Amino acid sequence: MSDRVAGLMGQLIAVAIALAIGAVIILAVNESPLRVLVTLIDGAFGNPERIAGTLLQMTPILICGIAACISLRGGLFNIGIEGQLFVGGFAATWVGFSFALPPLVHVLFGLAFAALAGMLWIAVPAFFRARFNTNEVVSTILANYVAILLTSYLTINVFKRPGGQPDTPAILESAYLPQIFSFSRLNWGLFIGIALAIGAYLFFTRTARGYAVTEMGANPKFAEYGGIDIKRQTFVLLLVSGAVGGVAGGIESLGVHHRFMEGFAPGFGFDGVIAALLANGNPIGTIVTALFFGALRNGSLLLEVDTTASREIITVIQALIILAVSAQILVRRRASDSTAGERRWKF
Amino acid sequence: MEVLERLFNAALIVAMLRTTAPILLVALGGSFTTKAGIFNIGLEGQMLLGAFFAVIGTIVSGSPWIGVLCGVAAALVLAYIFALLVVTFRANEVVVGLALNILASGMTISLMKAIFGTRGSIFGHGLVGLPIIRLPFAKDLGWFGQIISGYTPLVYVAFLAVPVLIVFYKHSRLGLYIRVVGEKPEAAEALGISISRIRYTASLICGVLAGLAGAHLSLGYTTMFTENMSSGRGFMAVAILIFSNGDPLKLLAGCLLFGFSDALSLRMQTTLGVSSYIILAVPYLVALAALFALSYRSRPRLIQETLATMGRALSVKPNGASGS
Repeated sequence: MSDRVAGLMGQLIAVAIALAIGAVIILAVNESPLRVLVTLIDGAFGNPERIAGTLLQMTPILICGIAACISLRGGLFNIGIEGQLFVGGFAATWVGFSFALPPLVHVLFGLAFAALAGMLWIAVPAFFRARFNTNEVVSTILANYVAILLTSYLTINVFKRPGGQPDTPAILESAYLPQIFSFSRLNWGLFIGIALAIGAYLFFTRTARGYAVTEMGANPKFAEYGGIDIKRQTFVLLLVSGAVGGVAGGIESLGVHHRFMEGFAPGFGFDGVIAALLANGNPIGTIVTALFFGALRNGSLLLEVDTTASREIITVIQALIILAVSAQILVRRRASDSTAGERRWKF
Repeated sequence: MEVLERLFNAALIVAMLRTTAPILLVALGGSFTTKAGIFNIGLEGQMLLGAFFAVIGTIVSGSPWIGVLCGVAAALVLAYIFALLVVTFRANEVVVGLALNILASGMTISLMKAIFGTRGSIFGHGLVGLPIIRLPFAKDLGWFGQIISGYTPLVYVAFLAVPVLIVFYKHSRLGLYIRVVGEKPEAAEALGISISRIRYTASLICGVLAGLAGAHLSLGYTTMFTENMSSGRGFMAVAILIFSNGDPLKLLAGCLLFGFSDALSLRMQTTLGVSSYIILAVPYLVALAALFALSYRSRPRLIQETLATMGRALSVKPNGASGS
């Protein structure tokens, strides 16, 4: 338990250091760090609409974060969540405007298609990772670019109405994910995300299969001697991770945009990976880190209006946080356990 | 037939060499880290930062050469941070590389807005590109002269670096040390080679080349800076590095394949009218196909090479092994 507290402290200190460096960078672009901080907090939590906006931004980051957690636990890097989100979003939109189904069935059908699309998108990289040990980091990153271009192609060249906006037709109302409040686009996706986080947590901590995955992440050789079919497990794990990434996209389209367009959800996939890394691959911790990044993102909208800083300054801060966290492991490793370095997902 | 003639001619080869150069430069940089046993996913960010600061340096100084130096310096800083975290702090190289890529992307956009007050791209402001070099003897060589002349300087640097690197890895002491450190760190340690020193050196040389690649992108290939203009070239380079195992010649072949597919698809867009989205996806698809097709063969080759290197490493006198 004290080990966990020490780890959490280290994480917080790393975040503090990153924020300090971020403040220096903000000074360098001629803006007051304090003003940026106040604006960020005001933009993220200033009134009920803004809080709902923060939760709205948090939802896809959380679900993408769970997708990342699932792969990280098994010692795998699914960096292609951005791409899975795009194909998932497109698939759900397609179901949303192509079929007329009863309300709940339509939503479930759309999300199922989103999951399937995400799964298909990772299937080839996953197969080659499992069978030939082909580096999944590069293959999933490259697949992102293809996914974004392919969905743009389908949107603009296949489904766009002549003379209309560069987007697909709107989905039918029966496919809408219900909104929680009348004043925000915040929807049931948030609950789905939290349920997925709890489900993933229980899977990894309470089931034998979850233990086998963690074992593989900690030490694949040892896991193989222990009788775990590494190849099969790698393949299935990446498929599940891809499916969750697809669901993140499905929720964005059925809950928020109600259509698909270019630049559908910029960067949520990467934010999810970062949130999962910051939470050390823990799904419950990812709820907290996703909220943090959602607040940063939502706060940055006001930041761009009220100050001269651009909203990308928050991606700089996110990157600095990850760098600081990845560096502080050295201190922690010296202090306590020697096995931390063995786990690929524990940076 | 007429379509084929319009697709394949000397101009296509020129276009191919043009599109090959930036990815070749960054891939050659990555070959140092690959050979030294570091998986460097941060190439993309180093290239992007190099491209940005090359533009800033040129605008401030008025000289594209100073710009190139600025670009290289910026990429070196990123490469140093990478080495510091990965080698000294033993942080996970994938995590650090990705974070540095995100940092480079966010930083260039933020700085662009802070300095120029715009988003999107920087051009004008007195920005000048690198001069085009016309080889004096090229006119007498007919179509071949057409192919080898008329590029910006860093294109020549990229292609000339390939034979230099082949010799470097085969015959120089540092080249051998880098390979030993990458393939058999235990052997390197036994020979008294400082692993971290070699890995720092490899990362920094990589930074120089990635910076040159970036500078070429913003001052040679085009004369502007655009948000995220490296557009995955760094990742494609990593894909090539994986299946070429960092060997300069195989790497060149891989990069030419990209240059060719890129140039051909751009041309197909104009002659056949294929959607630009599909055209833009071609290089990534080629990278994926090559990665999948060739990856399963890389393992046995690596072991063979390790054995060969071991033999050579053991023939090196241990007392001379401390210098790099």
